[in-house]
Amino acid sequence: MMEVFGNLSLSWFDPWLMFLTAMGTFAGIYVGAIPGLSVTMATSILISFTFKWPVNDALALIAGVFIGGVYGGSRTAILLNIPGAPSAIATAIEGYPMAKRGEAGEAIGLTTVMSVFGGFVGILALALFAPVISSFALQFNSRDYLLLGLIGILLVGSLSGESFSKGVFAGALGVLIGMVGLDPMTAEGRFTFGSIQMMGGIPYVAAMIGFFGVAEAFVQIHNLDLPAVKQKIDRIIPKFSDVKKYFGLAMRTSGIGTIIGALPGTGGDIAALLAYDHAKRSTKNPEVPFGEGAKEGLIAPEAANNAAVGGSFIPMLTLGIPGDAVTAVIIGALFIHGLKPGPLLLIDTPHLFWFLVGNLALANIFLLIFGLTGIRVFTKIVECPKAILIPLIIIFSAVGTYAIENNPTHISWMLVFGVVGYFMKTYGFQVGPVILGVILGPMMDANYRRAMIGARGDVGTFLWDFVSNPISLVLSVSFLFLLISQTPLWPKITAILPNSKRKQADK
Amino acid sequence: MSVQRERRPGELAFALTLLIFSIVALWQAYGISGFKGLSTAGVFPMLAAAAMVLSGLFIIKDILFGRSSERKIPQSLEVDHKVLTVRLVTMIALVIFYIATMPYLGFMVASAGFLFLSFAYLWRKNILISIALTGLTLSLIYGLFRILFQVVLPKGSLIQGLF
Repeated sequence: MMEVFGNLSLSWFDPWLMFLTAMGTFAGIYVGAIPGLSVTMATSILISFTFKWPVNDALALIAGVFIGGVYGGSRTAILLNIPGAPSAIATAIEGYPMAKRGEAGEAIGLTTVMSVFGGFVGILALALFAPVISSFALQFNSRDYLLLGLIGILLVGSLSGESFSKGVFAGALGVLIGMVGLDPMTAEGRFTFGSIQMMGGIPYVAAMIGFFGVAEAFVQIHNLDLPAVKQKIDRIIPKFSDVKKYFGLAMRTSGIGTIIGALPGTGGDIAALLAYDHAKRSTKNPEVPFGEGAKEGLIAPEAANNAAVGGSFIPMLTLGIPGDAVTAVIIGALFIHGLKPGPLLLIDTPHLFWFLVGNLALANIFLLIFGLTGIRVFTKIVECPKAILIPLIIIFSAVGTYAIENNPTHISWMLVFGVVGYFMKTYGFQVGPVILGVILGPMMDANYRRAMIGARGDVGTFLWDFVSNPISLVLSVSFLFLLISQTPLWPKITAILPNSKRKQADK
Repeated sequence: MSVQRERRPGELAFALTLLIFSIVALWQAYGISGFKGLSTAGVFPMLAAAAMVLSGLFIIKDILFGRSSERKIPQSLEVDHKVLTVRLVTMIALVIFYIATMPYLGFMVASAGFLFLSFAYLWRKNILISIALTGLTLSLIYGLFRILFQVVLPKGSLIQGLF
């Protein structure tokens, strides 16, 4: 117990770790806030700079950036009506009208307090449930991991982007990229074309930075001439009566956020939208109508998306399944530091788990401090012209890609992925499933083959295993449900079911 | 429920390219170990490529018969109808030039050139401002990466060991 407490508070008493966490949170707020820079982009670039650091230092910085970045998106959503991140879309709907009424400061203050509150709920859930889930996950079989990977990719693919087929394509493309190189089981070359360079595989950091950094920079070139909007900012510390009044709502939406974050494949953006929907349904008489600056609609998504941070660490650390693009990138960071996220992480390296929990909590406290101060300076920095930002993103991306293995060909890979990513984004594909596929692909391949070897290569036995074990059965059913609910078969099925007329009417 | 929307320029061509790429990938995946067994190295790549071919066909169907955009994408995240503008093509060319010259010129010189050209092109302010900005950002980058993060920056063959 003392040991747990010691690890939990490690970064609270070590000035250097504390400094790194504070820096990370501070930088995260700005990165999340500046449209065109995303947490995923920053984390993927940061990983390549910190991989030589001791693991605690690197994790302290990355945890700070994650916590700060999720919150930072709300700032520009409120001030400029540009969500800095997809998880702040709902925030913009209510926050911007408040800013136009001259209540920008109040909106930011309330958002900060509720974000911190949601963050703590998520971290508490992580500390309480991760050990339980982790010991449960020890009973998982290879086929269960295969199913979890498939569900994760399908969920990200189906919930984001324009259509299900585009999501599936992106996920499968990622898996294919992850397959390139020598097969770890038989050392056969896959898609290597006889080149020694290709035998080492495609570096996933190059893919991450290409898809999230360079591709985004190219997309932003079209938004070069968007004018900046200036807002008046007054009172920032929120009224205590407001905090008290919305406490119940924040509690409920934090719960939603944690659960959504903990589901593999769903992250802060979906949590925020669901929480916003919940606030809209559950608030009977809002002071101001929704869509015109209702505080309920501002609090709900912000509490939820910060709660989702703690939640998303649960499947990532206990199952090795990232919840969304950012956690996929963080899993990459853990791999680079020689850690194996999965049920054994809590058994082999419990100190690391408790360190992370304590660190996230510390980052959350810094969020409160930085969130309520320095807003005037902030508005100046966010107005940084894109013409300066875009070339800088490209340079950062190039250095980041090179830094991992000091290999110049990786920079060319980065550019290829950047251009492909640009076209994918332009035509309504999401790049998140690609990265999830790259990270999960090799894991799924290995588990598929283990399961198949376990069934002695017999398809009948292999399929029977998926339904004969309770855990596998639950996962198989969820997988099939997910798949069928996205196909044209679904409306036909719901039409047969009773009460379908009412359901149709609801829509 | 389905909303007919305008087809973006080049959308069909891109989808067809993706489909052709997927078919080639499937063929290559088959080449790894064929149908020799169900737990061989080639099975999973084949499954992934097959999923790409299948979803690629659905994407093309959606483009041709326009049943796709069922999901509302928030306005602020919707990508513009512009796809390949002069500005973008120029920037991509600049990046290619930057990456190609880096092994020869070294990171610092190549980056200085890239930053100056792109600032001058994208921002269109006074040349002197662009030069000053290049100097400022480059020294910031050097301080951050080389001194703080201690990253090895690519050195060039032109002025050996200096940049």
